[in-house]
Amino acid sequence: MKKIALKGITAAVALAFAAGGALAQEKTIKIAGFGAKSGVVRSFGINSEAAMLAAADQINKAGGVALADGSKAKIKIDYYDDRCTAEEGISVARRMAGTDALVGVGPTCSNVAEPLFGILQKKAGDASDSGLQFPIFSDVAIKGGLARISEWSFRNVPNEMTMYSSMFYWLKQKHPEMKTVFGGVEEDFAHSRATWYVVMKDRAAANGYTIAGETKWLLADTNFATQVREMKKANADVVAISAHPFSTCGVLKEMQRQGVKPKLLVGLTSTSSLETMQGCAKQAEGMMIPTSFAPVNKEGKAAADATAKFKGSADLHSMAAWENMFILKQVMESEKISGNPKDVQADRRKIRDGLAKLKVTKGLLGDTKRTEDREADKPYLFVQAKGGNWVVLHNPL
Amino acid sequence: MLDFIQSLSDGVLFGATYALIGIGFTLVFGVMHKLNLSYAAASVGGAYCGLLVLKVFAGAPPLAVFFCAFLAGGLLGYIVYLACFHFIPISNPLATLMATVGMLLLVDEVIVHQTDGMPLNYPALFDDVMLRAGEFTLRGDLLMVFVVSILCMAGLLALLYRTRLGLATRAVSQQAVAAQLCGIRVGQVNAMTFVITGLLGGIAGAMIGASVGTLSPLLTTPLTIKGLIVTVIGGLGSIPGAIVAGLLVGGFESVLQQYRGVTERDLYVMLLLFVFLVFRPGGLFAPKEGRD
Repeated sequence: MKKIALKGITAAVALAFAAGGALAQEKTIKIAGFGAKSGVVRSFGINSEAAMLAAADQINKAGGVALADGSKAKIKIDYYDDRCTAEEGISVARRMAGTDALVGVGPTCSNVAEPLFGILQKKAGDASDSGLQFPIFSDVAIKGGLARISEWSFRNVPNEMTMYSSMFYWLKQKHPEMKTVFGGVEEDFAHSRATWYVVMKDRAAANGYTIAGETKWLLADTNFATQVREMKKANADVVAISAHPFSTCGVLKEMQRQGVKPKLLVGLTSTSSLETMQGCAKQAEGMMIPTSFAPVNKEGKAAADATAKFKGSADLHSMAAWENMFILKQVMESEKISGNPKDVQADRRKIRDGLAKLKVTKGLLGDTKRTEDREADKPYLFVQAKGGNWVVLHNPL
Repeated sequence: MLDFIQSLSDGVLFGATYALIGIGFTLVFGVMHKLNLSYAAASVGGAYCGLLVLKVFAGAPPLAVFFCAFLAGGLLGYIVYLACFHFIPISNPLATLMATVGMLLLVDEVIVHQTDGMPLNYPALFDDVMLRAGEFTLRGDLLMVFVVSILCMAGLLALLYRTRLGLATRAVSQQAVAAQLCGIRVGQVNAMTFVITGLLGGIAGAMIGASVGTLSPLLTTPLTIKGLIVTVIGGLGSIPGAIVAGLLVGGFESVLQQYRGVTERDLYVMLLLFVFLVFRPGGLFAPKEGRD
């Protein structure tokens, strides 16, 4: 009896050691997320972090990332707050590059992405350029054309030019009676400003609309009476508002007071979120926005549910972070990264090269085409505010 | 001409909220000769607290929200007093000033963390009322804000000039040492000043929320700047000055927005401030020089 007990104990100890050894050998791959987790755009950072954690959890539960030596590694996410300021964003990027993180996913704001991409090495492998050699795969910062700044910068954000072009084209076919567009723009925010002047205005005119005028306000303005009076005088069929939720809501409420009722309201991509519904669901009723995410299929719903478990909400930005995680897993496996701490820089280079090679990636709404300048051409939908929710109005693809 | 009158009236009505914020700055300065830079942030914080009523009693009337904001503003005022003035050596002006800057950032960040920075719908009274005279219109909710602001100012002036507390407050503002020798508890008067300005701030925050229709932490910094401008133009320590300057800045800003656009508007407001600082540094209603 004693012998059996002794053998049992020996076996248990041996098993425990074996398990311990296996645990000790288990590798982790660090991915750094960064974005605004403080300030007025905090919700973007929270949602992106939640989506990244949810995606990593799903990948880890399925075994993790396959490495060059055939072993598997779990993904660990570290998320940094860049406060949506350029100097903090650059500081965060330098800190991330100083860790063993293999790639960064972020940032939230275009005014961070633009200078941040500027400190990365412009041409990969250029020994004369001492810029950071750290791949960054953006999920939120949406201002057009930023990825071309550096060969280490990649983006999985929707192409607003394509989306608004398609939307105005569809509107022209569907409602030929609408002929004029009036623009309202939040003048002091990089994304909203660029979207009106470079995208909406241009695309509306290209699709045969007459631009009846434009009015401007600032992000933190509190009184929109003058701007809405200009809007009222123009009496345009379509009012396009290129602004973030706080000032969008202020303008919509002033429009209601002054009785300005255009035939159609068009909004900024980033406004198709929970924020607008919390601020002014009633006044936003009928607003139409092109977006690269809506939970319209099984994958989208599952991603949204998984993100909700990590206390985030699914929108076009956070779901880009979700997609990025799966794209990175695919790239890390195809490029056969080692996952060893001593090979961090080599692995970063492999990830960069792998991302640059991609022609098509899988997205929640379908396949995303990758462009030569490291941008994405994502599938999209048109959504409309209805009864306090964003509902799909049309799927053009 | 109609555009000018319309812009001016819109601006003046909205300027009432600037006046309320300006009064808070000026009253504290008048009594303690200190600047409380966290005042506008605490006012917006009070307005956010007002929304708690809607969380507990969904469908509560806007007046209940405003009243809760009023009370919360007073409480926040007292907390600001304790944190930034009571336990900090008052003889060091920089220490209290920096403490209020810290409090501004703290209140701002607390709001951001509690709301994730999302704009929140704020209830209003008479927001569906629009008075019309031909093309000329007046917003019912802004008129309400204007009337409430005027009532608050009248109440404050009555408190200052018709009550023993007001007498004590004025005594401390004129000569703190002499007031203490007369048996007035200076610390208590200072604390009460913060509570009163806090109550006023709660109302100001609620009125701003009601007139915009939405609350956001984005409001704290611009309101702090506007409050300071109003205080300087009105004359540091002058309540009538803050009222007149608030309406003046509101009207000036709105007219300039109409004719010069939003990108130049703030430039001219700052220019107005510089003009006052150079040619009339004491502001519109510069208090008479005291004995010391």
